[in-house]
Amino acid sequence: MSIVRLEDVHKVYPLGETHVRAVNGVTFAIERGDFISIAGPSGSGKSTILNMIGCIDTPTEGSVYIDGRPTSGLTDRQITRLRHQFIGFIFQSFNLVPVLNVFENIEFPLLLGSEVASKEERKEYVDFLIEEVDLTRWRTHRPNELSGGQRQRVAIARALVTRPQIVLADEPTANLDSKTGEGIIELMKRINRELETTFIFSTHDPSIMEIADHIIRLLDGSVIEDRRTATAGAKA
Amino acid sequence: MKTLLKTVLIALRNLNRQKRRTFLLGGAIAFGIAIVTLINGFAGSFVENVSENFSNLLAGHIFVQGVEKTAAGKEYRTIADDGILLDIMTEQEMPVTFVSKRSEFTGSLIFQGESIRQTVVGVDWDEEQYLRERLVLLEGDFENMLVMNDRGERNGIILTEAIAEALNVELGERIIARMRTVAGQQNVGEFVLAGVSYDPGLFGQLAAYADLSYVNELLTLQPKQYQTLGIFLTDLGLIDQEAERYYEVLSQRVNVFDRAVEEDGQNPVEALFEQADEQTWTGVRYRLFTLNDVLSEVDEIVRLLNGAALVILLVLFVIIMVGITNTFRMIMYERVKEIGTMRALGMQRPRVQVLFLLEAFFLAMGGVAFGLVVAGIIMLILSRIYLGLDSAIFILLKNGYFTFTVRPLQVAMNTGIVAALTLLAAFLPSRKAALMPPVDALRA
Ligand SMILES: Nc1ncnc2c1ncn2[C@@H]1O[C@H](COP(=O)(O)OP(=O)(O)OP(=O)(O)O)[C@@H](O)[C@H]1O
Ligand SMILES: [Mg+2]
Repeated sequence: MSIVRLEDVHKVYPLGETHVRAVNGVTFAIERGDFISIAGPSGSGKSTILNMIGCIDTPTEGSVYIDGRPTSGLTDRQITRLRHQFIGFIFQSFNLVPVLNVFENIEFPLLLGSEVASKEERKEYVDFLIEEVDLTRWRTHRPNELSGGQRQRVAIARALVTRPQIVLADEPTANLDSKTGEGIIELMKRINRELETTFIFSTHDPSIMEIADHIIRLLDGSVIEDRRTATAGAKA
Repeated sequence: MKTLLKTVLIALRNLNRQKRRTFLLGGAIAFGIAIVTLINGFAGSFVENVSENFSNLLAGHIFVQGVEKTAAGKEYRTIADDGILLDIMTEQEMPVTFVSKRSEFTGSLIFQGESIRQTVVGVDWDEEQYLRERLVLLEGDFENMLVMNDRGERNGIILTEAIAEALNVELGERIIARMRTVAGQQNVGEFVLAGVSYDPGLFGQLAAYADLSYVNELLTLQPKQYQTLGIFLTDLGLIDQEAERYYEVLSQRVNVFDRAVEEDGQNPVEALFEQADEQTWTGVRYRLFTLNDVLSEVDEIVRLLNGAALVILLVLFVIIMVGITNTFRMIMYERVKEIGTMRALGMQRPRVQVLFLLEAFFLAMGGVAFGLVVAGIIMLILSRIYLGLDSAIFILLKNGYFTFTVRPLQVAMNTGIVAALTLLAAFLPSRKAALMPPVDALRA
């Protein structure tokens, strides 16, 4: 079963007298363990689609299924819990909590759920992730003491800490130079392989897009291409 | 638990983020609390100090007077035999430190054509120490009061500064007193000015003080008789309870007037005294009143002070609340992305609200703590300044010093009010933050 499925999804934003069709009848499926890029020019609907998959926005029409379950008709409490359990987020501008240090930022999502992990277990996993994103030296630093690339690595670790099935990254490299950006995508890809977490990232950078093993290209709110790349075969 | 701890931590660190803003708001709260605590503290010791000072001027905490009424309907005060009165005290093992025995008349004092009405109180100077310690003499000496004239009378008198000036009389000069005996006959006495006392002028005028036996003589009472028995207790706080006990026993042994029946707005002592005018009886009837009855207006002042403090607190905090509401609305916009992130990561709405409210709560508590410390320091400084026994506000002071009594319950109440108002002020912004859809928050 697909981990994510969109069926004829529309998103219309009212805009004054008229309205904007941000997403226009999109249908696609994402498989477990995929490393996917959603690509397209600015305004093509990438963020809107990621937000709907991430359950922070709802379609005007059509359905989004996460792990086979529809995401519509849930209360805010239920949808928040669903996000917490299933989805990790990586943002374009990192969005770390400024008053928390690296360790605390990564640990933060663990403190939001009802799961009962002991302090030791939490610490162990957070430290594992810190090592994974190579930030051991920066463990007790606050975000404003880190570079963009380092901040995004913290965000990656934070997105992974609840062991989500899906990690969503909306233009994770847009605020980074191309070399650092590629490093971030490579890191995500490595983790995708190691932990078998499904990664969905959006980008408008063709070279970064090609690192993915499943590419969905958008234009004006519609899918214009949905293909697997050569690397996908290498994985299988 | 772990979640709450982290939320507390974040709230605290958030406060630390905008230090200037935190200090301004916290400072405003501190200012309000400090003012109110000072007023409360002052009002708290106000009753005690005024009572203490008055008890010394009036010579007692509990007072017993005997009243006789003649066939002609004239009443006069006398305690012919105080054996019963004193026995009750010992029998009941009352915590008495001292008793005063006094007689008094109100008449005209005349000196070289000047005349002025004045109450003259007869004091047993051999026994009574309290008055000596309390009355501040600007001129003369208490020893003058023990001097006898050639007829064997101690006829020294202590006048207040104002009366002495009005009569234009100097130490050692003779003053004529025109007054009535207990039976209502005209009588004339002669006093020698022995001292001039300072009169703080608050709560009415001080009396003139003379010797008990000479005042008795002028009143045509026996030398050892007197009119008012004043009982000093070990503690002002015991007055009501001990008076009740004493009255209970007294009413079984002698004729008594009803304990002050208080009518609307009337001083209970006035009400008590009116009974004597309205009723007829034979023999001696006793009446009992207390310092608290006399000072019932002081309680009123304290209530007013505390009421004013509360109004100040509320007014200040309504103003501060506006500041808090605005600040938290600002904070909400500043951190809109942060809120969106936390919500995306799985933070539930109520927790977002709690995060804001905790921040407001800690701000309030920090301000309160700071304000209490400031108030404490100011009280400490004020209470170190000696204002003197002849200060105009001496009646409010304790031995010439300001004192403050801070009641924990009152502090708790003020703190509670501040906490409640702060939370109320932060409530709407926090709710708005919690209800914001994460997608909008993240886009901002
Ligand atoms: N809240 C909104 N209200 C109105 N229009 C919106 C809103 N959000 C998005 N849109 C519009 O929907 C369309 C798709 O926007 P979206 O943000 O999904 O594009 P995008 O592909 O992520 O672009 P970018 O690369 O610039 O991030 C755009 O035309 C945008 O203006
Ligand atoms: Mg976008």
